[in-house]
Amino acid sequence: MSIMSIIQDMRGEFGSMSRRGFGVKSAYGMRSRSQRVVQDSSVGAIHALKQSCWANLPPELLRDVLMRIEASEDTWPPRKNVVACAGVCRSWREIMIEIVKSPEVSCKLTFPISLKQPGPRDSLFQCYIKRNHSSQTYYLYLSLNRASTDDGKFLLAARKCRRPTYTDYIISLNSDDVSKGSSTFIGKLRSNFLGTKFTIYDAQAPHTGVKVVTKCRSTRLVNLRQVSPRVPAGNYPIAHISYELNVLGSRGPRRMQCVMDAIPASAVEPGGVAPTQTEFLVSSVDNFPSLPFFRSKSMRTESFLSGNLSGESEGRLVLRNKAPRWHEQLQCWCLNFNGRVTIASVKNFQLVASPENEAAGHEHENVILQFGKVGKDTFTMDYQYPISAFQAFAICLSSFDTKIACE
Amino acid sequence: MSSSSSPMQSTGRKLKLKSKDDETFEVEEAVAVKSQIFKYMVEDGVSNGPIPLPNVNGKTLARVLQWCQKHADPTITEDELNKYDAGFIDVDQAVLYDLLMAANYLNIEELLKLACMRVADMIKGKSPDEIRRTFNIKNDFTPEEEEEVRKENAWALGP
Repeated sequence: MSIMSIIQDMRGEFGSMSRRGFGVKSAYGMRSRSQRVVQDSSVGAIHALKQSCWANLPPELLRDVLMRIEASEDTWPPRKNVVACAGVCRSWREIMIEIVKSPEVSCKLTFPISLKQPGPRDSLFQCYIKRNHSSQTYYLYLSLNRASTDDGKFLLAARKCRRPTYTDYIISLNSDDVSKGSSTFIGKLRSNFLGTKFTIYDAQAPHTGVKVVTKCRSTRLVNLRQVSPRVPAGNYPIAHISYELNVLGSRGPRRMQCVMDAIPASAVEPGGVAPTQTEFLVSSVDNFPSLPFFRSKSMRTESFLSGNLSGESEGRLVLRNKAPRWHEQLQCWCLNFNGRVTIASVKNFQLVASPENEAAGHEHENVILQFGKVGKDTFTMDYQYPISAFQAFAICLSSFDTKIACE
Repeated sequence: MSSSSSPMQSTGRKLKLKSKDDETFEVEEAVAVKSQIFKYMVEDGVSNGPIPLPNVNGKTLARVLQWCQKHADPTITEDELNKYDAGFIDVDQAVLYDLLMAANYLNIEELLKLACMRVADMIKGKSPDEIRRTFNIKNDFTPEEEEEVRKENAWALGP
């Protein structure tokens, strides 16, 4: 041992001795006080017991109360109370998450994860998009009032970022902070240089067990429960969109095709299911696999089942735009938007499920996504099962961007 | 008003109840059977001694029996009953808690519903933090979970 370390050791000892001395001194000094402290704490304990009786409410009663809240607050803005209850403590959260059903089942949007889940089966969610030219930002709202496109619940925001060889639309839960580095980053839409082909990227894996092929990142099986610490907000391509001129060139409506890589073609057949994300991965500083924070038993089973469909052998869902008919008298191409679209625009479209091989069969009648202009910077967007609000929004953004058939 | 299928005639028979702090109450059968517990006891034939209720104190039991009395009254109108209920349940948190637990223990469906609705109303409109403070519930989320909750609620409130 060197002299220096001996001195250091001694210093350390002196230090601890003096600390001990202080400690002893204060114990003496506090003796009379400590008795009082004990008395106070026992009274405090009784007081605390009485106060926290609500924290120990029997689970069936708590469940009854939370079910009442979920049932009565069924529209926005009051539905925020359901989200508030799920943020009180773990037991409240577990119950509330179990009570709230996915949009497909309940026809309601509740938690942010609802935006990543398929819409309702037999009805459309009516939404609208507002464009802000100066900030190159788009805002998606859930329509709260059929008659108005000013009364809505904010859902998602997207900001256009132009690069030399591509354009990105960053999609976020936060209207003020629409950046890739933000914790509210959900995914993005990327266009090629010409604006004819687009890819939708999800910040997290579409569902458990999906095989992910990315060009720049490694190919591996991704499990929802595990997050590699080296991968930042992910980049999982979930859909490919392409635009083409139709045979009449720019005089005719353009042709649009969306290959939904993460949705099997069987999803739109009777008895089919679509993959459903059940949680946002909780990102921690150390990126350890976190506890499943958003647990929904029924949905997890569904997700697990559909997750087992291998992407290779199972056909993927393809959406194509419904061909407008030429209206001889009006001398224009017409689609029946059921009053939801009021201004003619080449951007307007209706998407239906179509067999992967175009020649192979008939397209479905059911309109899965409908988008169209109703004002200078206002557009309606209606979507339903099997796509989610996020996917629908991204597809609509591509319609803004593509230069195909724009006069 | 009463959900029982066979209307109880006023036989004049009374039930004796004893709260956990040894207060005794006499109540007519027709009133007592608002509680499913007492309904089954009456149907099965009760003992003569007072029925001990170790989970309900005298003050609360008095209130509950008052409510049962009102709801067993055949002359009262639905409007009057609703008005009465609104006033009855407008109590402080400690009393509300006791009523909730008593209604649950004694299995009085209508009163339980009334109390649960009141609790739900106390929760609506509050932020998670306000709810925690109102009911003195501990926040047991990890910092990461808390961040998720914050994001969720920020989104729910909307821009």
